[in-house]
Amino acid sequence: MYWLSQEEWVVLGLSARVGICCAAGVAIPGIVCGWLLARTRFPGKALVDAILHAPLVMPPVVTGYLLLVVLGRRGLLGEILFRYFGITFAFTWKAAVIASAVMAFPLMVRSVRIAMEMADPKLEAAARCLGASPLRTFLTVTLPLARPGIMTGLVLAFARSLGEFGATIVFAGNIQGETRTLPLAIYNSMQSPGGDAAALRLVMVSILLSLGALIASEIMCRRFSSFEKGIE
Amino acid sequence: MLQLTAELTRGAFHLQVDCHLSEPVTGIIGASGSGKTTLLHMIAGLVPPSAGRIAIDDEVLFDSESGISVPPHRRRLGLVFQDCRLFPHLSVADNLIYGKRLLSPGEQRFSLEAVIELLELGALLRLRPGQLSGGQAQRVAIGRALLASPRMLLLDEPLASLDWRLKQQIMPFLRRVRDVTRIPMLYVSHDSKEILDLTDRVVVLEGGKMVGAGPVVDIIQDPRVLRQLRLQGLVNILPLIFMSHDREGSLTHLQLRPLVANACGNPVDVSGPLLDAPTGRDIHAMLRPEDIALARTRLTGVSIQNQIQGHVVRLIHTHDRDVCVVDIGIPLMVEISSHGAKMLDLAAGNPVWCLFKSSALQYLGHPLN
Repeated sequence: MYWLSQEEWVVLGLSARVGICCAAGVAIPGIVCGWLLARTRFPGKALVDAILHAPLVMPPVVTGYLLLVVLGRRGLLGEILFRYFGITFAFTWKAAVIASAVMAFPLMVRSVRIAMEMADPKLEAAARCLGASPLRTFLTVTLPLARPGIMTGLVLAFARSLGEFGATIVFAGNIQGETRTLPLAIYNSMQSPGGDAAALRLVMVSILLSLGALIASEIMCRRFSSFEKGIE
Repeated sequence: MLQLTAELTRGAFHLQVDCHLSEPVTGIIGASGSGKTTLLHMIAGLVPPSAGRIAIDDEVLFDSESGISVPPHRRRLGLVFQDCRLFPHLSVADNLIYGKRLLSPGEQRFSLEAVIELLELGALLRLRPGQLSGGQAQRVAIGRALLASPRMLLLDEPLASLDWRLKQQIMPFLRRVRDVTRIPMLYVSHDSKEILDLTDRVVVLEGGKMVGAGPVVDIIQDPRVLRQLRLQGLVNILPLIFMSHDREGSLTHLQLRPLVANACGNPVDVSGPLLDAPTGRDIHAMLRPEDIALARTRLTGVSIQNQIQGHVVRLIHTHDRDVCVVDIGIPLMVEISSHGAKMLDLAAGNPVWCLFKSSALQYLGHPLN
């Protein structure tokens, strides 16, 4: 892709980094929450479910604003983190990761939950009778059976991160080389005079990346199901 | 040795069992919905009883009074399910060693090689469960349970989803597991034939209640037991040895392997349908009680090939048919009409002749049959 400028390569690299960190960050909490929602009953489950899914229906700008209120340097948690640990999130690339992770989390939880609901509890009972503890049963039976759903969730989280705009611009800002991911760069180019060509290039890159992620997840799922059927 | 006193209430269903099982193989017979599977799941720890006590040897697995409930993975009981439940994401080989891998070498009772040989699994190891036939999958499931070195095998209708021909292919394997591994077995089925082919010790369940426990010929005196057993297909299982083949007469001559020498002390000869099997080989054959007739004397001038002398051990009247237990070296259950029983004026101790056609004998564990 020789036709991308140095600056655009930086944008692409940053987007990839934020996307991968976002997918990695939602992986374990997403699996745990998906399992809790699929397999357990606890008081207030409906409320937890609603809160987890809120970022899906709220305007992203509102999510970004709330993140700023909580994690900003003068935010409820942010102030403590800064004062005692010297950690700041807002307006750094980590904020872009957090913003997109919060936005992507419901997607991850949803696909894990559906996959875990599909995983047959009878197979877990079989594992228990063969001597596997509940944790081992989860790791060796439930998790592998839910693998396609987990993979799909991770790809969705990555793709969501690539497309995240509203929460990122509010919580992380639009700082060249630090928080300017693909959508922000596209927006920026569109706003600057003569930036149409650059915007178009980035739009094409963005489309390619998103489609690539979807195709990759499709291939992974197909390979998994053919493994089970033994047609490998 | 399994001690079991358990109660479970689920909606309108109430299960209540109280028994003491010490036989190598015990069958649990009952119609569907009688609580057989629930009973096995209680023993395995998958379903907690509402009250009761379950102990194996001297170890208490469940006791509602002292609040003991050992989780399923620490009970070391091998449960084999009707639907096999092989792990679809693992190969056959990995399925087999799933439980074995969790044990220390000292706890492992069988080597993978021994189980592969016992159940003839060698050709299947690289396959996925999705590629196996029903009979193969069930053999893998039995092997997987064995390799987890259980103290007892709990078999939950392992053959129910297989057709007659496949059942006959698996039965010899189950007998081999029984004789080679010597692991006590609890075998649940709604088909008496399968159970009686493995053992004559049964527990009979009816609507969640245990109505009888013990050797079949002893407990059929209870009308509820007899009714259940007849509903689930009451049959005689004869242990036989091939003696010779009469190809022209289309017959195979066999000899009964008596549990104890019979009254006359003579070997009992039996004729069955022609089957190409080597002389001296053991086989089990099934004989339905309703296919046997009784006579007070040996008959002449009849085409019936089998006339075996014995004496009446017990006579059980039911509202329509009578069941007569005749000792011919093994106890043989004979079902005759009440009218017939009256006509013969049968009583315990009477000598009688048991008559059945050679074609009434059905060889078991022989897929060619």
